[in-house]
Amino acid sequence: MIEVRNLSKYYGSRAAVDDITFGVDEGQIVGFLGPNGAGKTTTIRILTCFMPATNGSATVAGHDVLTASMRVRESVGYLPESVPLYPEMRVREYLRFRGKLRGMDRAARESAIQRVVARCWLQDVIGRPIGQLSKGFRQRVGLADALLHNPKVLILDEPTVGLDPRQIRETRSLIQELAADHTVMLSSHILPEVEATCQRIIIIHEGQLVAQGSPEELRAKVTEGTSLIAELKGPVTDVSAEMRKLAGVTDVHAQAIDGWTQVTLTTARDVREDVYKVSQEKSWPLRELRRDIATLEDFFVKIVAGTRV
Amino acid sequence: MRNTMAIMQRELLALFCSPIGYIVIAGFLLINGVIVLWTGVFSPGKAATLRDVFFWMPWVLTVIVPAISMRMISEEYRSGTIESLMTAPLSDFQMVLGKYLAGVIFFAIMLGATLVYLVLMAAYGNPDLGAAFALYLGLFLIGLAFTAYGVFASSLTSNQVVAWILGWVPLLLFACVSYFVVGQVEGWLRALFQQVNVIGRFEAFSRGLVRIDGVVFFIATAALFVFLTVKVVESRRWR
Repeated sequence: MIEVRNLSKYYGSRAAVDDITFGVDEGQIVGFLGPNGAGKTTTIRILTCFMPATNGSATVAGHDVLTASMRVRESVGYLPESVPLYPEMRVREYLRFRGKLRGMDRAARESAIQRVVARCWLQDVIGRPIGQLSKGFRQRVGLADALLHNPKVLILDEPTVGLDPRQIRETRSLIQELAADHTVMLSSHILPEVEATCQRIIIIHEGQLVAQGSPEELRAKVTEGTSLIAELKGPVTDVSAEMRKLAGVTDVHAQAIDGWTQVTLTTARDVREDVYKVSQEKSWPLRELRRDIATLEDFFVKIVAGTRV
Repeated sequence: MRNTMAIMQRELLALFCSPIGYIVIAGFLLINGVIVLWTGVFSPGKAATLRDVFFWMPWVLTVIVPAISMRMISEEYRSGTIESLMTAPLSDFQMVLGKYLAGVIFFAIMLGATLVYLVLMAAYGNPDLGAAFALYLGLFLIGLAFTAYGVFASSLTSNQVVAWILGWVPLLLFACVSYFVVGQVEGWLRALFQQVNVIGRFEAFSRGLVRIDGVVFFIATAALFVFLTVKVVESRRWR
């Protein structure tokens, strides 16, 4: 549905997006993750034909964003980050205006407005001027506008920014519902958000694509080299020495904590059983044994801190 | 076509839903009223013509017309709504044209309000309707050209006030000051000022003379600035 090849965008000599390549399949919800200023909005603006790329190409729904811009715009529903709306217009007026812009005739327009208003819970505010609406409602008006022409592809730039927790949850479940009929690409700088809604995650940092895959795949990438933490009641040096003997242990770090010895093992395989056996043989009581499973959050933080994976 | 109309309707709605539209119309009619009193065209014994009143009109319009168009594109940039317009399936030309047409319609409505003087004149005197038609046609043509220039000025900045000044000052300098300057200079400067001399061209209309070079000048100017506006809007994408 979306194909991006070697896309770059320079503002002057600064690269906002630097040679990124990715694809999004039909029916997927893809999260576009990166810290602020990573180049998410720039990429999205290129995909929605707001600005041209400096290098590379992109196609959306089979149309090139540069040469078939009108076809792309017809097949994309776009919610810009700032949710720009006309404050003096009423919600119904605005949606009618957007429908006309999309070339819909009166009947198509009215039925589409009914559909999106129901979908985005706008019934109560349909006659109110947009300028009087709260941020949450404005976001929904923007989303309703993006859905008006029933687009194949939905591109949402930070759809939940500035919403309260309840609205965030509502928006998330709405996006998940929408995935049944649309291919969704959403951007965010908040990881749990993307983790909760998306089947695939694309992480970019400083304009470059640093990782992509399903949340599980990305998690697997980080779990390589899992560490195991054990606390045994034994002398620090002895415990440390015994642990080093275990097969698969590559590194041991031991420290004394109020009479107990805490060891952190870097292992290639699961050695929990072996640790238990050692504790049995040496009669060192064992009070803690846990794996330190890396979260996507760690992964993301690592990337943002500058470590390439 | 439908999307051009949509832009036009929205633009008219914005003008009539905000104070700016009414302020502009009220200001225009107030200045007009003052000029009518000042020139004393309704005094007994005067010829039944609005020519003296409308002689001043191009000056007034240099201020008024950019005020109509000042927010048309600059406000889209400021509020970011340009992003949803430029990602909707309409060309930059359709967008600019819709806005321009809205400005022209608004101008025509505003100008139409001054017909009341003509009606009064017809009630108490016997004005030459042919000459009055030429006068209004001349003003409408000035409106076409000035509005296009105003929309162009609006596309250059994201600040309405700057757009207004960018619209007003060059119009005043070129279109009106050239009327006085044209006799003072020689050579190519004279030729230039003769071309852009809006008041000079309008004088022919106010004498009841519809000159084809005048009609072509105003329409061509309008077309040029609509074209330039489209180019400015397009070029903003590349920055």
